[in-house]
Amino acid sequence: MKTYDKVLDVTETPTIVFGRRASTWWGTTAFMAIEATTLVVCIATYLYVRKNFHHWPPAPLRVPDVLRPTISVTFLALSNIANYWLSRKVRALDKRGTQIGLLVMSTIAAIAIVLRVFDFRDLNSHWDTNAYASAAWISVAFHSSLLFLEGIETWVFTALFWFGPVEGKHFSDADDNCVYWYFMTLVWVPMYALIYWTPRLM
Amino acid sequence: MSASVPSVTETMVLNDGDLVTRSELEQSWRFPRGFVGWLRNTSHLSIGKRYIITAFVFFGLGGLEAGLIRLQLSRPENSWIGPDLYNQIFTMHGTTMMFLFAVPMMTAVGLYMVPLMIGTRNVSSPRLNLYGYFTYVVGGAFLYFAFFVNNGPDAGWFAYTPLSGPQFSPGKRVDVWAQTITFTEISALISAVILITTIFKQRAPGMSLNRIPLFVWAMLVTSFMIVFSMPWVATASQMLAADRLVDTHFFNAAEGGDALLWQHLFWFFGHPEVYIIFIPALGMVSAIVETFTGRPIFAYPVMVLSLITTGFMGFGLWVHHMFATPIPQLGQSFFTAASTIIAIPTGVQIFCWIATIWAGKPRFTTPLLFVIGFIITFVIGGLTGVMIASVPFDLQAHDTYFIVAHLHYVLIGGGLFPLFGAFYYWFPKMTGRMMSERMGKWNFWLFFTGVNVTFFPMHVLGLEGMTRRIYTYLPETGWGPLNLVSSLGAVVIVVSMVLFVANALISWKRGVPAGDNPWGAASLEWATESPPPPYVFLHVPVCTSEHPLWEEGETRPVVTGLRTDIRENLMTTLMDAEPDHRHDSPEPTIWPFVAALATGVMFITAIFTVWGLVIGLLLLFPPLLLWGWPRKEEQRRRLAGERDPLARAGS
Repeated sequence: MKTYDKVLDVTETPTIVFGRRASTWWGTTAFMAIEATTLVVCIATYLYVRKNFHHWPPAPLRVPDVLRPTISVTFLALSNIANYWLSRKVRALDKRGTQIGLLVMSTIAAIAIVLRVFDFRDLNSHWDTNAYASAAWISVAFHSSLLFLEGIETWVFTALFWFGPVEGKHFSDADDNCVYWYFMTLVWVPMYALIYWTPRLM
Repeated sequence: MSASVPSVTETMVLNDGDLVTRSELEQSWRFPRGFVGWLRNTSHLSIGKRYIITAFVFFGLGGLEAGLIRLQLSRPENSWIGPDLYNQIFTMHGTTMMFLFAVPMMTAVGLYMVPLMIGTRNVSSPRLNLYGYFTYVVGGAFLYFAFFVNNGPDAGWFAYTPLSGPQFSPGKRVDVWAQTITFTEISALISAVILITTIFKQRAPGMSLNRIPLFVWAMLVTSFMIVFSMPWVATASQMLAADRLVDTHFFNAAEGGDALLWQHLFWFFGHPEVYIIFIPALGMVSAIVETFTGRPIFAYPVMVLSLITTGFMGFGLWVHHMFATPIPQLGQSFFTAASTIIAIPTGVQIFCWIATIWAGKPRFTTPLLFVIGFIITFVIGGLTGVMIASVPFDLQAHDTYFIVAHLHYVLIGGGLFPLFGAFYYWFPKMTGRMMSERMGKWNFWLFFTGVNVTFFPMHVLGLEGMTRRIYTYLPETGWGPLNLVSSLGAVVIVVSMVLFVANALISWKRGVPAGDNPWGAASLEWATESPPPPYVFLHVPVCTSEHPLWEEGETRPVVTGLRTDIRENLMTTLMDAEPDHRHDSPEPTIWPFVAALATGVMFITAIFTVWGLVIGLLLLFPPLLLWGWPRKEEQRRRLAGERDPLARAGS
């Protein structure tokens, strides 16, 4: 016969934490690892089929245009300034600031999605032209799916913070959304360099 | 129950405060009722159990397909099954066993047992867990529906291009395979993320890294392997589907694509997949050996390092599946060396188990018998693995029954034997009843005999030149007698499986009551009732040593201060498992189930039109929105009693 011995009282522990203290942060990080791996597969495919062509891009395809994709990637990279501001408001549990920040990020996401349409156009190829075009398209397409889903998540958080019943834990979730935005935007920089610039160099 | 199995059930004495706590926990953690309640239930106990049962159903289906294969090959020039159906059957067998049974089963056992073993009340992201389960069910049901309407995949479980490409496999059979892969990979990835976050953040206070049970370590390593390997096949299968639906050219050599690219992408996933099945089994073996020898596992740190080493090295071997392709000689040498070296960490573990058994007082119950069966069978499979790691030998044995023998020895030896042992070991915890030892021993000996009689002759058949995936052969080959022996062995396996199912069903209804800790085990899953109540632990335990139940005295150290009026979990720090914060666990909801159905519509429609993705996303949006949108009543209860949010944030 045994009895319980209550040796540890956790009443005073907090219910809202941020960053790697939060399990949701670890979940978000694991999903970032999964999606980064997916993008690595796209890049590996792109580089693997390179050996099958004498020219890159193979004739008669033109190299991708770079002006609009450069504007797009710059816009995404700079959006992290607003994202950083938002994450500070979130961590301060500043509801008003978070609402404004999310509205700004929602607008940025919408603009980024529109700009992405031009990224596809400026590949100057169609997915069914040859393996080069297929690999370039799928690289942009997989990253676009991340951008699109992140846009949806940001819009949902915006709706929640403006119209929904907000709890403390939602600040932590919104903070994880900011972390994911950093990942999604910054991972595009090397992919952009590979897809739009290396055809001019290889 | 055999007299050799002592019952050392400890009864906890509850005071008035404990009774009040139990009453409140029963209310806040209660399972929703009825069929709709079952669809909404987010408890890892419910989801883990149904995952296990569903995986066993698929195991039965895959086994039936194996039986049909053995029936067809039991004599030369057999014409019971034609070549087209035979192609579908062996593809269904491989796909079912690898994607619908082995991986989901291992993660399912993890999802059920890990929270119990680390002393928490539910996994992190329980709603995501529910979504993962239903996504898996939809994928499996879709595969079998397609099979029953003569559209089962027929290009082998690894669907090599160009055979699986649009030119050589017209129709939708390969697309069914590709989308089944997508469903199962989503499910496995979700399970992996949930296990990682749960193990990292929800261990009982005091369960520092050096006190984590070896099965939990094994599930952690496996989960990381899933995270970094499964995206490869998930992406590759989408590329294959795109080649077939929208005329991309990833694997079309005529337009600069590459058939070997498929092999690289597939096996970069496919080889770690073997370890994703095998490493959890190693954890099961460690749990069983420790309990049934009554002593700590020999060289625990070495065991942990071996698991991690195996996890890393599992990613460096994939090319040994491709030795028959034009691989540079340096590459061949590298992958031969790597394939040989990975035997070292596994060998280390086997010696540690033998040392533990040697130094302990082994009780040869059914679980331990299955462990010994594992050691023998897996060592044979491992030795043939070292043989085919050598390129010259592999070139001779490639695509023959020698490989079929090897892979079945490895997967059955390394996966199934430990799994059955674990089933007998943890069945009392899951159901509250013991399985029959007498039937268990019959089950073991028949299975052990059947496996060896079925698969050992295949080594010889392979060396005699019998290639895999042929639906019949001529009498002049001389392969008839050994094939008949192999088929008779399969009959013995079937008998052992019937015995297993009968034992499980009868014991579930009428088995001897188990009590909390019938085997006298050391780890925390035995520190609660059998079966565990919905709240799992009346009080979250405090972990005071590597073997808490062996070393505790007259009292059991526990946590106080967690809310009992809502579902609340204690979160701890990553390294030392010190109390960090409290986190509410989401309540049941129907939306993950609806989202899984929408996911099904999306991927199945995408087989026929690319617009399926758009339709699916539109269907997915409402359930995903409603899934996380807070309900006012739940929120009111959560917010009741909370203090200033800044103080709560600890800032």
